[in-house]
Order: sequence, then C-alpha cells, then structure tokens
Amino acid sequence: MTLAAARVLSSLTILALMTASSAVRAQEGETSEVSKMEPPKPEWVFVRGGFGSEGTSIYDTKTGKMKGMVNTSASSDMALDPTGKFYYVSETIWTKGNRGTRQDMVAVYDAIDLKLQADINIPDRLLVGERKQNFIISDDGKWGFVYNMSPASSVNVVDLTKRKFVKAIELPGCAALMPNPAVGFSALCSDGSLATVTVGGAKPVITHSAPFFSATGDPIFENFQYDKAKQQTVMMSYTGLIYTATLGATPTVAQPYSIQAAAGYAAADTKPLAVDWYPGGRQPMALHRPSGELYVLMHMGEYWSHKAAGEEIWVLDTTSRKVVRRFPLKIPAAHIEVTQGAEPMIFLNEEEGGNGIILDGKTGKEEHKIERAGGGMAYTMPAS
Amino acid sequence: MKKFDADGLGESLLRGFAGRTSRRSLLSKLGLALVAAPAFPLLPVSRANAAKPDRSPEGKTAFARAAQTKDDTECNYWRYCAIDGALCSCCGGGIHSCPAGAQPSPVSWVGTCINPDDGKAYLIAYRDCCGKPLCNHCFCDNADRETQIYTPQLNNDIIWCFGTDSMQYHCSTAVLVGAAQ
Repeated sequence: MTLAAARVLSSLTILALMTASSAVRAQEGETSEVSKMEPPKPEWVFVRGGFGSEGTSIYDTKTGKMKGMVNTSASSDMALDPTGKFYYVSETIWTKGNRGTRQDMVAVYDAIDLKLQADINIPDRLLVGERKQNFIISDDGKWGFVYNMSPASSVNVVDLTKRKFVKAIELPGCAALMPNPAVGFSALCSDGSLATVTVGGAKPVITHSAPFFSATGDPIFENFQYDKAKQQTVMMSYTGLIYTATLGATPTVAQPYSIQAAAGYAAADTKPLAVDWYPGGRQPMALHRPSGELYVLMHMGEYWSHKAAGEEIWVLDTTSRKVVRRFPLKIPAAHIEVTQGAEPMIFLNEEEGGNGIILDGKTGKEEHKIERAGGGMAYTMPAS
Repeated sequence: MKKFDADGLGESLLRGFAGRTSRRSLLSKLGLALVAAPAFPLLPVSRANAAKPDRSPEGKTAFARAAQTKDDTECNYWRYCAIDGALCSCCGGGIHSCPAGAQPSPVSWVGTCINPDDGKAYLIAYRDCCGKPLCNHCFCDNADRETQIYTPQLNNDIIWCFGTDSMQYHCSTAVLVGAAQ
C-alpha cells in the first residue's frame, strides 16, 4: 500500500468511527459496580469445586441460576453460619504458594458482600477435602470446631464471636464431628463408639458410648445428618443400616434398621459375591429435616462398593421406616443434597460430565441442569 | 468371616516405617497417637476369629476376582485394591517410585490385596508422592476394606503427605510391605 492510499484509508476509518459514535450517543457511559448478595436462603445450594479445585458456587434451586461464589481454596472445609451472617472457610496456605511456611486459619466472609472479614489463625488441620464433618459450627453460631490430624488427632476450638483460637483438644481414635448442644461436640471412633466432648470447663472431658458399630467391618459413612431441632444425628453404614443417635451429655443410639428392608428387600450384608442395592458415593445421603425424609444414593453392586455413584435415589421416611419413593437417575450421581424448605429440591452432581441436576424432591422431576456446577460436596442452609 | 488381619497389617507397617524414617517431629506426633493407644486402636482387630482367611474365588471381592499382575498402569493391577488417586506409574514414577522431584510420604494408608498369581494376601502401603502439582493421569479409586477417617490408616481420601517438605499431592504408589498372613 502506498503512503497516499494509507492516508485515505485512515481518514475513512476515522469518519466511520465518528459516524458510529454519533449513532450510539444516546447511551450513557457506565461505571463498574459490584453486586451484593441477599442473606442465604433455604432454596440455595452451595457446591464445592471438587478435589483440587477452588471456589464454592452458590445456586438458586428454584431458578437454576448462579448467585455468587465463596472464596474457598483447595482442600479447605466450608461451614455455614447458622445465623446466616457469615461463611467460614477452614483452610491452609503456604507463604510461597505451593511451598514455604504453612499457615492454617479460619477465614470469615461476610454473607452480603462476600468480602473477607478476618483470618483466625489455628495451629493445624487435616487436609482431605470432601468432608463437612471436619469443620462444624455450634447451633448458636458461636463456636467452630476444626478437626486436625498430624497424624495424632485433635480438635481446634475457635471462638467465632471473639474470632480467636481457644484451644486444641486431643481426640485420639475419633473423627467425624457433629454438634452436641450445651455440651460441645460428639465424634465417631474407631472402636465403634460415639465420643462426646464437653468443651466448656477448664479441662475438656471426653466420654465414650458403648461400641455400637464395626469401624472396619461395616463402617458408618461420615456423611451423617445432624438435626438441630430433634438434637439427633441420622447415620448410615456401608451395608445400609440406619442408626439414630440422640445427643446430649450421654448420647443414646437406637437399634439400627436396614434401608433395604425398608424397601421390601432382604437386608444387605458384607458377604462377597452378594449383589445387592447398597448406599454409596462421596456424599451419599441428605436429610430433609422438616419431614424426616432421608434421600439416599443407591447402586447395585457388591460390598466395598461404598464409593460407587448412585443409580437411584431412595427416599426413606425415618418415622415409618419405609422407603416411600424411588427415583432412577439418568446419569449416576456421587453427591446429593436437599433444600430444607417445605418444598424440598434435590441437588445432584453427575458422575460423568460434571453437571449439576436439580430435581423436585417430591416428584423426582428434573427442574434444572447446571453445566459444570462443581464436582464436590454440596451444602444447604440448615432448617431455622 | 475374617476379612483381613489388621493386627499383622499394623505390625508390618510399623516395622517398615521404623526402618525407613528418622523424622523426629513426625515420630513425636505419631508417638502421641500411640501413647493414647487405649482409646486409639491403631491396630483394629477381631481377635476372636483366628481362622485362615478365605482366599477362594467365592471369598474374594469384585476387585480381587478381576485383578491382574501384568500392567501397573491399569486400575485393576492387583496391588491397587484400595488406592485412590493418580498412579505414579503413569506420571514418570513406578509402582514404588516417586516421579523425579517428588518426595515419598513416610506414612501411608494401607490395603490388604490378593495376588492372583499365588492367591496370597499382601500388605500394601499406599505412599503418596508429594511436593508437585496433581498428576492428571490414571486416576483410580478402589475401595476394598477402605473405611472412614476415624480409622485413618484405612482411609484413602486423606492427603498422606505428613512429614514431607510439602503437602502438595502429586500421585500415589503401592509399596509391597510383606505377606499379610
């Protein structure tokens, strides 16, 4: 191109831009803004990214739309403030990214602007991810309990009101924490007992129930369901035995019953070669507290298939001890959660494809599909 | 039915551990766990049943019935009966070797796997290799006799990078410790 031709082209370009500019002159200029959140709602579901992934996405199960994201790092544990004011993240970072000095903390995020409010330093924590029971909050929202294994096991007690680490309580042989109102917390133990830790006194007191399950023969999934209103925890073993613990200073555990028997089948057992319906997945069950209905991911297989994704959802009425609904799934799911309102909505993470699926809890009808919703643990707000 | 000998498993594991590591800080922490032994049964065991384990096809898990001994880059390789993670054999390492630049964890979770060639059960230590980003190859998640974190030595979800310079998980190996019976 000659110099003269280039000048003509340049002039034409400027003329075209001026013409276009006059055509859109009516539009006002914009400034960048930042959205704010509403307080967490019962119909929201919080979905972790999955192993090695950061961020927890918040979706409205009524619309299937994303509302925002909590800033969770890889291998962190998130807990929801029961009062709805904060999101807490128990996490571990290093001063040089993937190396350097290790720092463990509970990060406090405001529920409205999702900005960091504080880092509460703690001594240590277990790195595993995919576990709600490694970081729990007391029912009144005042205390946080962070599980640690280094490799001796202990629990860090955090005062969330003063935003201070208080003390570490050694808890040998136990893990998987659940709130125990007015006492502190309880935990499952490798001797098959339930430990109860009284936190308030000068020195913590740890008591154990009589052993009631086999930690190596038929373990109880750590994905048990704590019900604040009933002060009970519903638990399930690999074979599908349902245990209910009533909490307090001296918890009691009711005689277990079989979910397969509740569906009209023979109870499943641990014998090789026996093909049966078993519970499984990485988050195999969710309790709808107001109705007492337990949503369980079930699959056909042999024993020790407890990580297998669910092919059906069985809805167990824990009052009548009957499976009242069964929803076959198009694609197996490894995580299940249910919202706690009067009209429960089921959230599933599909094993293949990574899509999130939202089903009507009463009919099983698919309401929304969320592309790449997040491959990890799902949370909903506890019933108020 | 006797599923596996956790007592022997623990003994072999600790012997192997004692022979390989000199990390005082780690040992002091592990010692703390062992001091608390009455409430922390590191070696959970059903002593009542002393019968020989059933290694017949009818007594094997689905994994054991389909296991092979030729290709350690496949999830059904016999030692992988309770592995969870990326196979180091696919990441520049080997069945008991970490890839270059990674560091093996001195502690691990364990499994009891049956070698189909001799029908015997062996104790396998699944040692994570640490200090490099996640190797995105050959993910396996087998769960024979795998339990929850309250029995940590049999749980394969924990990032077993204790006592290493970095807790970054890279991949997992399956180290033969010895016969389990």
